[in-house]
Amino acid sequence: MKKDLNLMVAGPQGSGINFTSDTFAKVMARQGYYVYTNAELFSTIKGDHSYFRVRVSDQKIESYSERVDILIPLDAKSVIIHKGEVSDDGMIISEEKVDDKRFATISYRKILESVATKFNKNVSELNVMKNTVSLAAALKIVGIESKNLKDVITENFASRKIIAEMNNAVVDEVYNEFSFNKTFSLPPVEKKKRMLINSAEAVGMGKVLAGMKFQSYYPITPASDESNYLETLMDKYGFVVEQTEDEIAAINMAIAAANTGLRSSTSTSGPGFDLMVEALSYSGMTETPVVIFYYQRAGPSTGMPTRHEQGDLKFATTASHGEFPRVILTPGDNTEAFYDAVDSFNIAEHYQLPVIVLLDKSMAMSNTTTEVFDLSGVRIDRGKLVLNETSNYKRYKLTEDGISPRTVPGVKGGIFTIAGDEHEEDGHIFSEDPDNRIIMMNKRMGKMNLILKEIGENKKVKFYGKPENKKVILSWGSPKGAIKDALESFPDISFLQVRMIEPFPSEEVMKYLKGKYVIDIEQNYSGQLADLLREKTGIVVDSRILKFNGRPMAYEELMDAIKKAQTEKKVVLSYA
Amino acid sequence: MHNTYKTNVEIDWCPGCGDFGILNALTLALQDLRIPNENVVLTGGIGCSSKIPHYVNVYALHTLHGRSLVQGEAVKMANPELEVISVSGDGDGLGIGSAHLVAAGRRNLDMTYMIFDNGVYGLTKGQASPTLPYKENIKSLETENIKFPVNPIFLALASGYTFVARSYSYNIKHLKETIERAIRHKGMALIDIMQPCVTYNNINTKEFYDKRLYDLEASGWNPVVNKGDDPSVKISQAVQRSMEWGDKIPMGVFIQYERETYAERLSTLIHGYGTRNMVKEPIDQNGKPVANIQEVMESFF
Ligand SMILES: Cc1ncc(C[n+]2csc(CCOP(=O)(O)OP(=O)(O)O)c2C)c(N)n1
Ligand SMILES: [Mg+2]
Repeated sequence: MKKDLNLMVAGPQGSGINFTSDTFAKVMARQGYYVYTNAELFSTIKGDHSYFRVRVSDQKIESYSERVDILIPLDAKSVIIHKGEVSDDGMIISEEKVDDKRFATISYRKILESVATKFNKNVSELNVMKNTVSLAAALKIVGIESKNLKDVITENFASRKIIAEMNNAVVDEVYNEFSFNKTFSLPPVEKKKRMLINSAEAVGMGKVLAGMKFQSYYPITPASDESNYLETLMDKYGFVVEQTEDEIAAINMAIAAANTGLRSSTSTSGPGFDLMVEALSYSGMTETPVVIFYYQRAGPSTGMPTRHEQGDLKFATTASHGEFPRVILTPGDNTEAFYDAVDSFNIAEHYQLPVIVLLDKSMAMSNTTTEVFDLSGVRIDRGKLVLNETSNYKRYKLTEDGISPRTVPGVKGGIFTIAGDEHEEDGHIFSEDPDNRIIMMNKRMGKMNLILKEIGENKKVKFYGKPENKKVILSWGSPKGAIKDALESFPDISFLQVRMIEPFPSEEVMKYLKGKYVIDIEQNYSGQLADLLREKTGIVVDSRILKFNGRPMAYEELMDAIKKAQTEKKVVLSYA
Repeated sequence: MHNTYKTNVEIDWCPGCGDFGILNALTLALQDLRIPNENVVLTGGIGCSSKIPHYVNVYALHTLHGRSLVQGEAVKMANPELEVISVSGDGDGLGIGSAHLVAAGRRNLDMTYMIFDNGVYGLTKGQASPTLPYKENIKSLETENIKFPVNPIFLALASGYTFVARSYSYNIKHLKETIERAIRHKGMALIDIMQPCVTYNNINTKEFYDKRLYDLEASGWNPVVNKGDDPSVKISQAVQRSMEWGDKIPMGVFIQYERETYAERLSTLIHGYGTRNMVKEPIDQNGKPVANIQEVMESFF
């Protein structure tokens, strides 16, 4: 078992819980530790109870733990709610003295008063720095030198020097005054520079590298973080991020910008994707290379806007009327999300079709230490894009592989007509000829087989563990982290991660699952991948481990479930 | 002179449809302005009117019902060098696409939006459109229209369009000139075009409009706001003129004023926007990405 340390910061939303947990995570990551965070927040701006977890280890970790070693409660309610999760030799950093050996008392008031006097301020002005008190206490307990925290604070408040100085004075005061009878020592690690990022940031970086020039979006949790992050980069890299009037506008703008010649994308969540569906089928019909980043959250309807779920797999594969080719990629961590962001544009432009990348709330909001991306193998493939003068041009010209050269407005001799009605090679719509319909359906749908043939196995599935194992876990997307962490205790179980859901890589999946005891793990009610597997391959999974309470999986509950799944057909997880 | 802006695609509008006049006026205007065909993008939504992109020899986007304008806006944002014209039926633009109509005024891109206003949903066989007057009982309806109509001119003025006009499909000279003025205008222009539907609307016909439409500007109205003047004074007067509907219906330009275009505003956020052509800018060199993200990655250390 890995040696790890788990911090929880809990309190009313808007009271600075994310500052406390983010800073703790940053300081530990800079020491060279691996960090994984989990954010559980309410769909309100201020007030409701929220809590953030930070798991730290000297070895790679990809999920959170049920165990809390250090609890920082920012109000009394948090003590009541989370006391039970704190382990027997854990610690609760608190202002109050309580008859419980886990409580480590620290006088916020005394510390803040002392700093207030030094800076000639009223202590009420320093109330917001309570978070710094507990943060410093937690880091001292873990044995981190104060300088490491002060450096991060100084960077955070670079534009407000005096605030940084006061916070740092609070840190010094805590390090001098606060003593405790317990320590949590993690094995020492060598310093290594890793990024502390979530998947929204990974995707943002991937899009920039891919040469994305147009992103349209309508605000929605948990997707807008990505667009807002891109807004901070648009000046430097020269691309447009447009906040539209609604999601219908967002997808239509991305489609039109793509047909004008820019790599274009939009990002959304379930309710927004619902509104985009008509235009999705338009992009299929018009063979427009558009990319949609789809961050799932708990549905249906508005559901639980800030909570986690993988409930939209089937929807994403079938959304729309009519039949057209689409590609759906399902990354399971930051690194995969980054490379998928680049690949999504390459696939969209090469095959001229919509690409959907399915992510989720957990990926969008969990900060994880991530190795710097290796860019040496990254390539741009714009497919049959024609930017120079041409002649005798037909947008939907029939070709060997079904993919037609694509011009953009401004190109001499390349005038096109693009239409969502069934069209002929020249894009015009007036014949409705039945033979032409067959030809055009074959042209478009033929891309699916082409993709299955041309895209390599490593982009379709990933297999972990020994091939001879009789039992195989099947999953997709974010459960990957908890599965990998849990499987360290089950060397006789392998793991098949499906990385591309559409077109479905039946051949590769069958190769790994045929004749095995298959345990499906998903964060939804029904086990949508298991159903899809049966539809596509006939394979019936032996057991399903499902979780749909809006919270991602902790690796311990998953370990229990994996044990049960060896005899039970269905195990439902409920840890929160 | 041969009209090089028409395609030879067979036109499937009803004989006598008002849309023919608009097609003629539009192609004549493009011919007059001598904009190279390949630099023009024409978008349509869905409807009889929205098929017009097939008939004009320029880059043509036949989009979805209600999405003509929003796609046109994105084309303009993606490549500001292009001349973008979006067209919609009154159902397309003022019904299902009305959110985009309002939002487009707020952006004020330098482009033109033409609404083919026939009071009906032509392509779906004559249901009432958002502009059909209250209590009118045209022959395609079972009952009289029990909704109040929207006023496209007033709505455009309120939404921030910097050029708002009404014209008429059977007055090709007026319409052609109005289209040219709209194209030359720097900012978002809307033309509401009275377009009789010979098949379903037996009230708002050629006879109906011929005797009612009068030239607003010839009768003394000056729509132009002088540079530097606050446009709100003239806008409120224009709103008043937009309310005229009855025995006399004004046509012509109601307002024209200058305001920062969306491209100008984007260029304050994105250095060099509008001066570089994003479409022609290479994103790779021999397949390798040109964007350098090293610094960005390091910002997360
Ligand atoms: C989403 C959607 N809903 C409904 C339709 C059916 N439809 C096609 S054209 C049309 C109305 C067109 O009316 P208008 O925009 O006024 O154009 P006109 O035919 O009168 O020129 C409708 C409702 C559609 N194509 N798409
Ligand atoms: Mg109409």
